[in-house]
Amino acid sequence: MAEPLLEMSGIEKHFPGVQALVDCHFDLFPGEVHALVGENGAGKSTLMKILDGVYERDSGVIKLKGSEVDIPNTATAQRLGISMIHQELNLMPHLTVAQNIFIGREPQGRLPFVLDERALNENAAALFEKLRLHLDPRKRVSALTVAQQQMVEIAKALSFNASVLIMDEPTAALTDKEIDELFRITRQLRGEGVGIVHISHRLQELKQISDRVTVMRDGHVINTVATADATVEQIISMMVGRTIFEAAPEVPEVTNPEVVLEVRNLNRGRAIRDVSFSVHRGEIVGIAGLVGAGRTEVARAVFGADPIDSGEILIHGKKVKISGPIDAVHHGIGYLSEDRKRYGLALGLNVETNVVMASLQRFVGRLGIVRSGLTRVAAERQVQNLAIKTPSLSQRVRNLSGGTQQKVVVAKWLTADTEILFFDEPTRGIDVGAKSEIYQLLNALAHEGKAIVMISSDLPEILRMSHRIIVMCEGRVTGELTAAEANQEKIMTFATQREAAA
Amino acid sequence: MSNAPGLPLPAGRSGALIRADFFQRFLAFGALIVLILFFQVWCVAIGTNFLTFENLVNILVATAVVGVLALGETFVIITGGIDLSVGTVLTISMVMTAVCITSQHLPVPVGILVGFLTGGLMGLINGVLVAHLKLAPFIATLGILNVARGLSLVLTQTRPIYFAGDNGFQSGVMGNLFGVKLSGEFGIPIIAILMFAAALFAAFLLGKTVLGRYTFALGSNEEAARLSGVNVAKWKMLVYVVCGLFAGLAGVLSAARLGSAQPATGFGLELSAISAVVIGGTSLSGGEGTILGTVIGAFIVYVLTYGLQFVNVPQEWQIVVTGIVVIGAVYIDNLRRRQRA
Amino acid sequence: MANKRLLALATVAVLALSACSSTATTAPAATPAPAGTTAATPAPAATTAAKPYISIVSKGFQHQFWQAVKKGAEDEAATEGATVNFIGPNTEADVQPQLDMLNTELAKKPAALCFAALDSKAAGPILQKFQDQKIPVIAFDSGVDSTIPLTTVATDNVAAAALAADKMAAAIGGSGKVGVIIHDQTSRTGIDRGTGFLNEMKAKYPNIKIIGPQYGAGDVAKSADLAKSMLAANPDIKGFFGGNEGSIEGVINAVNELHLNGKITLIGYDSGQPQLDAINGGTELGAITQNPIGIGAQCVVNAMKAIKGQTTFDKNVDTGFMWYDKTNITDPKIVAVLYK
Repeated sequence: MAEPLLEMSGIEKHFPGVQALVDCHFDLFPGEVHALVGENGAGKSTLMKILDGVYERDSGVIKLKGSEVDIPNTATAQRLGISMIHQELNLMPHLTVAQNIFIGREPQGRLPFVLDERALNENAAALFEKLRLHLDPRKRVSALTVAQQQMVEIAKALSFNASVLIMDEPTAALTDKEIDELFRITRQLRGEGVGIVHISHRLQELKQISDRVTVMRDGHVINTVATADATVEQIISMMVGRTIFEAAPEVPEVTNPEVVLEVRNLNRGRAIRDVSFSVHRGEIVGIAGLVGAGRTEVARAVFGADPIDSGEILIHGKKVKISGPIDAVHHGIGYLSEDRKRYGLALGLNVETNVVMASLQRFVGRLGIVRSGLTRVAAERQVQNLAIKTPSLSQRVRNLSGGTQQKVVVAKWLTADTEILFFDEPTRGIDVGAKSEIYQLLNALAHEGKAIVMISSDLPEILRMSHRIIVMCEGRVTGELTAAEANQEKIMTFATQREAAA
Repeated sequence: MSNAPGLPLPAGRSGALIRADFFQRFLAFGALIVLILFFQVWCVAIGTNFLTFENLVNILVATAVVGVLALGETFVIITGGIDLSVGTVLTISMVMTAVCITSQHLPVPVGILVGFLTGGLMGLINGVLVAHLKLAPFIATLGILNVARGLSLVLTQTRPIYFAGDNGFQSGVMGNLFGVKLSGEFGIPIIAILMFAAALFAAFLLGKTVLGRYTFALGSNEEAARLSGVNVAKWKMLVYVVCGLFAGLAGVLSAARLGSAQPATGFGLELSAISAVVIGGTSLSGGEGTILGTVIGAFIVYVLTYGLQFVNVPQEWQIVVTGIVVIGAVYIDNLRRRQRA
Repeated sequence: MANKRLLALATVAVLALSACSSTATTAPAATPAPAGTTAATPAPAATTAAKPYISIVSKGFQHQFWQAVKKGAEDEAATEGATVNFIGPNTEADVQPQLDMLNTELAKKPAALCFAALDSKAAGPILQKFQDQKIPVIAFDSGVDSTIPLTTVATDNVAAAALAADKMAAAIGGSGKVGVIIHDQTSRTGIDRGTGFLNEMKAKYPNIKIIGPQYGAGDVAKSADLAKSMLAANPDIKGFFGGNEGSIEGVINAVNELHLNGKITLIGYDSGQPQLDAINGGTELGAITQNPIGIGAQCVVNAMKAIKGQTTFDKNVDTGFMWYDKTNITDPKIVAVLYK
């Protein structure tokens, strides 16, 4: 191959409390799709955000077309022909497609600052034609599907005449057909000599699209291989590393036949369609599926956070009516949101307050005064039980690490005498070491007899933790697997089992 | 949903969106028409007439100052911010105009320019506080509200400043267009023409210029704008400057209207301006809004005020009704956003 | 889908509007003329109705003082066979809203206007229009600085404040420090009461030192803060004069909070429950009362005279003022002009 388009070497990045990147090397050739894989938190996005000027590197060298460059901000990256499509889409929903694409460099008329809307729309249309995309430049972005919005992002990235295009998890929210369309465009761009970085942890699709694969783990670049030379298994073993396999405990058998929670024929619009499942005492049930499969929606519906159209919820065989989170808590159901900072914790308050928040009623004496002696004892007990690493009960939750925060949320629900716990992506954004602690905690809780539902997009996590796995797709339960029979391929088969196109 | 020929996308959705937009615009305008007809019916019932040229002129004149104030506020609210200082920035602009013309004996146009620029300067300070020092707009502009209010009192030694005699300023703003009397003493008031001209300019600024585009972009998704290479701090600051300039213009108009600079007046007008903006359909959460809506919103506020007094509704009740209308408007804004979500 | 959405919005719009209208229609005393007089002619009904319609544009409407003026006007109107509409801006800083109110009243073609200007000069052009349309204008309270009003119905505030100064001097023995808190220095009443009190002191009691005057906008809390800071700087203050209801109430609050009741001589203005309580309880020596009910009544009396064609009036109609304290607070003559 020719001279590399891009070369990053010795890149280091430190965030408060975390060494995010250690001596990372990465290169990209023109006309290449280079996949970047690794578990959550491995450092893929961080490395690429340094390239895009979102973060600044602590040390290391970036060479573009042979000459060393400094990328202090996004505008510089754009000028250098580096564009990144972020995982969370960065569009302005109130603006039209064309306005979004050319934001920051609108064509201007003869008068300064006066927009040339016609040229704007024509430029966008020309761009779409080149990419063979069917998009209306005048349409508001808020009216587009997620896939269409992604196409807008790609078009926008390319409108900078980008020679380096970084796509962070572009397929996460797309349907198969939409993924095909994305890959078509990816190949077209590769043909035109663009260097493309494709961040993903869907290993199957790497085979379809990438030329080389770089694997990252815990902030290190583990290896870069030609896709054709590596098997999926080899890539997985590089991603996961030895340590995790060692730590993986046996999934204990569940023998307790007592059904704690049963959900029958739950329906809510198109998001939840005829979902039924049950959870036993001491059992961890994993819910697997792609983003948008309706997993979180099911948890929220059972918890009463969203209204349901129809369906029954039984606890210990008795039908209960849950019309809001208050009812759910009353019936011993706890929900640990995937976005714990937004929904699970009061970040500005201390550990003690957070721990007793869901059960404050129990600690209130006469005259409505909180009995602080009791709350302290209760919080103390949980801190010891769960080994919550906090200097004191009066530490603000904001200052704790992600894993410890997660434990505080768990402590909150345990204090509330919760019997059924929904964990929604319990390890998202948590570093590897803390992950195994969360896993141990889940096992311990199950051992104590709690009924646990764990939603996760991380297939290895689902496989190693669950006694039983429910797979969802498009709001329906498409399959159920025991721990013994489950593997990634079977789960993925169910997770992509779409309804026949109507 | 059927595919219209020639369109690459299902036409149903985009068609519905356009119609919904049209309807929303119609909603405010329709409310204004309904309101006017409502008062006309009431007036006929008590034996008088609401639809007179005199009433029209009175409403135009009453709306002008707050209308101009609301134009600038629209920009800030579209970015998802708020400017609480416009009322007292109006005051200090009015005071500066009067100080220049009376105690400094400068020509009237210089006084007008100084008043206008005073507004811009206060807007600039707001902008620096919000965009560069990253203070919450509510707090930053609340602070400037008091600074401007206090400075106005200091500059005037708490006494009104009167324009000595007629220097063409007051009659120039408050007179009739081309001096033509259309009905009795009443012609088309120049102050209303100035408001409409300011509104046209604001609409141009918002709809056709880079500034307007970034105003929407900031309100819609500031982070996306930043990642797209937009100089967020600079443009946000400019939005507050624009708001200040309109407040300055409103101050000049107010000075002409009152024939003086009143250091204690102005405080409270920011709430009328914000009401007008919100009633006009601009979302307090940012990202959407129109100048036309704001102008209609301002008229709704003043038709309501004028009409209720005209039919002799007791003042206490006038205040209650105005409050209900604002709540109703915000509620509709909420519904609309839920529809969009 | 789309139609449903539109329908929902339309429904809300209609509801919102009907909510407004129903509130408004249930408002009491909304119509100046009986609904039966629906005239076919578009001519304004206010003047063609049997009862003359008198517009009263005041400086405020929320304070008890203005409510008393309003009551006096309405009672007098009832006996004279007239209709009045009493309105005023929310605060005394609302110069422009007061102009809008004048415009609206002018459009109603009233038989007469009674007006207390927040800013006489600002109101000048509009008053000119009243004169052009031959609508008689009666000024009241602080009056209108213009030749247009036929007469001004008001208290002689200079003389009243001078009386307060005499009472103060007598109470503190003719020497010492006296704090003065006035509502503002821009309105006619503020200027008259401040200068009336100060000039009297200067002329007759050279041994009394005046602290202030300070201006508290007639706001109770603000006036209380002013009184406290004056006391902190001058612990030997022997007395306070409060130039209106809010000012003296602020002083009373300050004295209560500092537990100085009875140790400082307080003299106030107007009435209102807190002041009456303070006088009865001994915290306040006494106060000047105007005759707000009389002001309202005299407005209507003079307006009716003008409507009936009288063209020459005295320049001022003095509605009088009275000193009241613990000794005469139950006197029926005093009780008649006090308000709570």
